[in-house]
Amino acid sequence: MSKWRNSFVFAFGLAVALLLGWVVFPRVLYSQKHQPLDFLHKTHAEKSGVADCAECHTIREDGTFAGLPAVEKCAGCHSERVGESKAEAILVDSYIKPGHDTPWLAYARQPANVWFSHAIHVKRANLSCTECHSTYGESDRVRVYEVNRISGYSRDIWGHSMSRLRRAPHEGMKMSDCEECHKQRNVEVGCLGCHQ
Amino acid sequence: MWKSVAWDAINEGKAMKVTRRDLLVWGAGAAAGLLATPVPWKVLDDVSIWSQNWPWIPQPTRGPVEVKQSFCTLCPKACGLRVRMANGWAVGVAGSSTHPISRGALCPLAFAAHQLNWHPQRLRNVRHGSSLSTWAEAQSAFAKASKEGPVVVIDGYSGRAASSVLETFAGKQGGSYRVVATPELRAFTPYEQWTGIPAASLGYDFENARTIVSFGAPLLDGWGTPGRLTRLWAESGAGLSDPQLRLIQIDSSLSRTAARAWQWIEIREGSESALASGLAGALLEQNLVPAHSPVPSMTLAESSAQAGLSVERIRELARLVVAKTPALVVARDDDPAIAALNVLLGSLGNRGGIVPHSEGVKPYVAAESAIGNARAVLIDASVPWEFVPQVEAEIFRFAAWDGGATKADWLLPAPGFLEDLTDLPTAPGCSAQTYGVAPALVKATIEVQSAAQFLCSLDASLPTTAKIIDSRCEDLFRRREGNLYGQQIAAIDKVSSVQSFKEQLWKGAVWAGEASLSKAFACHLKEWPAQTRPVSAETWATQWKPVVMPPLASKLYQESGLREPPRRNA
Ligand code: SF4
Repeated sequence: MSKWRNSFVFAFGLAVALLLGWVVFPRVLYSQKHQPLDFLHKTHAEKSGVADCAECHTIREDGTFAGLPAVEKCAGCHSERVGESKAEAILVDSYIKPGHDTPWLAYARQPANVWFSHAIHVKRANLSCTECHSTYGESDRVRVYEVNRISGYSRDIWGHSMSRLRRAPHEGMKMSDCEECHKQRNVEVGCLGCHQ
Repeated sequence: MWKSVAWDAINEGKAMKVTRRDLLVWGAGAAAGLLATPVPWKVLDDVSIWSQNWPWIPQPTRGPVEVKQSFCTLCPKACGLRVRMANGWAVGVAGSSTHPISRGALCPLAFAAHQLNWHPQRLRNVRHGSSLSTWAEAQSAFAKASKEGPVVVIDGYSGRAASSVLETFAGKQGGSYRVVATPELRAFTPYEQWTGIPAASLGYDFENARTIVSFGAPLLDGWGTPGRLTRLWAESGAGLSDPQLRLIQIDSSLSRTAARAWQWIEIREGSESALASGLAGALLEQNLVPAHSPVPSMTLAESSAQAGLSVERIRELARLVVAKTPALVVARDDDPAIAALNVLLGSLGNRGGIVPHSEGVKPYVAAESAIGNARAVLIDASVPWEFVPQVEAEIFRFAAWDGGATKADWLLPAPGFLEDLTDLPTAPGCSAQTYGVAPALVKATIEVQSAAQFLCSLDASLPTTAKIIDSRCEDLFRRREGNLYGQQIAAIDKVSSVQSFKEQLWKGAVWAGEASLSKAFACHLKEWPAQTRPVSAETWATQWKPVVMPPLASKLYQESGLREPPRRNA
């Protein structure tokens, strides 16, 4: 009986750890934050005729990436409310009229020790935005922004899958992901390429 | 089956207590399970990232990114820089190809210069002896000392506006102003003694020379402004069997310059002076130079024995030196016998030789010369850490970085890289006068003062660095000579006003005059200089003098200075 009892207790311990590790741990590790307002990429693409990501996420003439659009860009269409939604009211009243940039939480922001050029990847390497950012540009809701409580990084850097096994190419933006992609495309880059 | 086992175990548990064994088995199961979860690996990864982002690790804030043109202020070579700034922080440094002298090249130290301000050895507090002190205490101690007796002020980068503040203070106070010169500057002192023209106003006209004979000077190894000679050599000599410019390196070891030069003449360590005398003898003997030149007392045979070269080899070298003229000799240091070769070759004041570039420069007094009685010594942050004044006086040392054990009584934190406004006079060795202004591009994150600011705060009658720079800019503009190297090259008479001239200088443009080839200076040596350099090889290890650089600047490219022991002894 003791043998079965030991096996049972061992299995119980194992099960608890697996449960904690795979289910509870990710929930504890990442805290959730909400974007300042609900933004619909899909609506902008379909109804407003914004066909290309670069229309809002521009690459400046000097090759630097402007990132998230400034509030003036939104004001081009939303200087006054163009709908009754709560998000529209927040956008116009809290950001456009006072002239404050919307404090978006950037999912894919790399840490300060990384120098990443969108211009090189998009213009020279001809990568499409979806290679790294998936089809987020077609989404009809804003995702919750998850932030790692220990490292302070966005969850998108590690990727949604905790195991990092069998991931789609856009899932994960760690250094090893950059290296892997460069390896696949036979593009060599030394340490100083990104850590300048 | 599992159900019945579990049921039994539970029933059994009713009757039996949970034992220590159960806990251990449970723990083992949990540990095994944990290894199959992302917990250990993810926590390890996150903790390592967290440790890179500790709050005391400086993080550039996000903001507008811009590139500013400026100069490297780490040593007197004053190379042109482009500084990448993010929200007011310097986050990257690159050479500026528009600089007429450095031409886009930098030494390895400068490439990480923007990080030096965060170096763990950064001096962050005023220190008195082994305890912390305050600026107010340092000021009152210095004020007291300067009332009690003469103060010697030591500068490692003469000719700046800040140097002028230091010199004016020393003059007013009754003390003296001394300079720790770079080896490039020291190499001109024999000419200063012979002609009266200050060493700091002389330069080498490499661009017009056809043969350069270097006696151990690491010309392609960071000597002078690193970009100047390396680029010139790459353009007109490197790799060619009969180049337009011949570089002959006389060196006791295969230094980097020797390896890349047109010819390497291997001699015994410490025998440069003897070879110079032998070479002069061979030039005279073969009538390769005017006959009225002084004759060295050392015979060719003696020189040959000391240098480890055959007499015939020295004669051949003499023929080689004058085969393609103008020929110019460069010494590693202030060896008069080597300098006298330039007099013999008629290189002084002539195209492709040694030319004066500026007027109104004062001769400097070397800091190494006897200091005498001083109540206090004030050492500027530009003085190399290794320099220790040989005097019993209270020492006030400014430094941006702590170089370790020091004799200084007071250690005073000075501005770091690009934290202070400074001007950049002509770099040692340049053939044309240059002038640039490096504004304080980054804000110091600690309380710092330069020696000049310190003195100005004690004596309000001293002119500030900013004022001196302003009046220097005006003087230069009034001369209406030379060119302004900014985004484009513009002759100074195309610059509309002094205001626009100043603005361009403050934005990183550099003014450069012309080499003064017409101002030939006469120098007739009555006799060959007495041998001052040791000929015995045993001094090789003790003769090394540090070049002027801040304490952290262990420049890799100066490794030619790390001499190998002599391989063949006399
Ligand atoms: S040689 Fe001097 S001035 Fe030039 S880059 Fe190096 S440290 Fe700066």
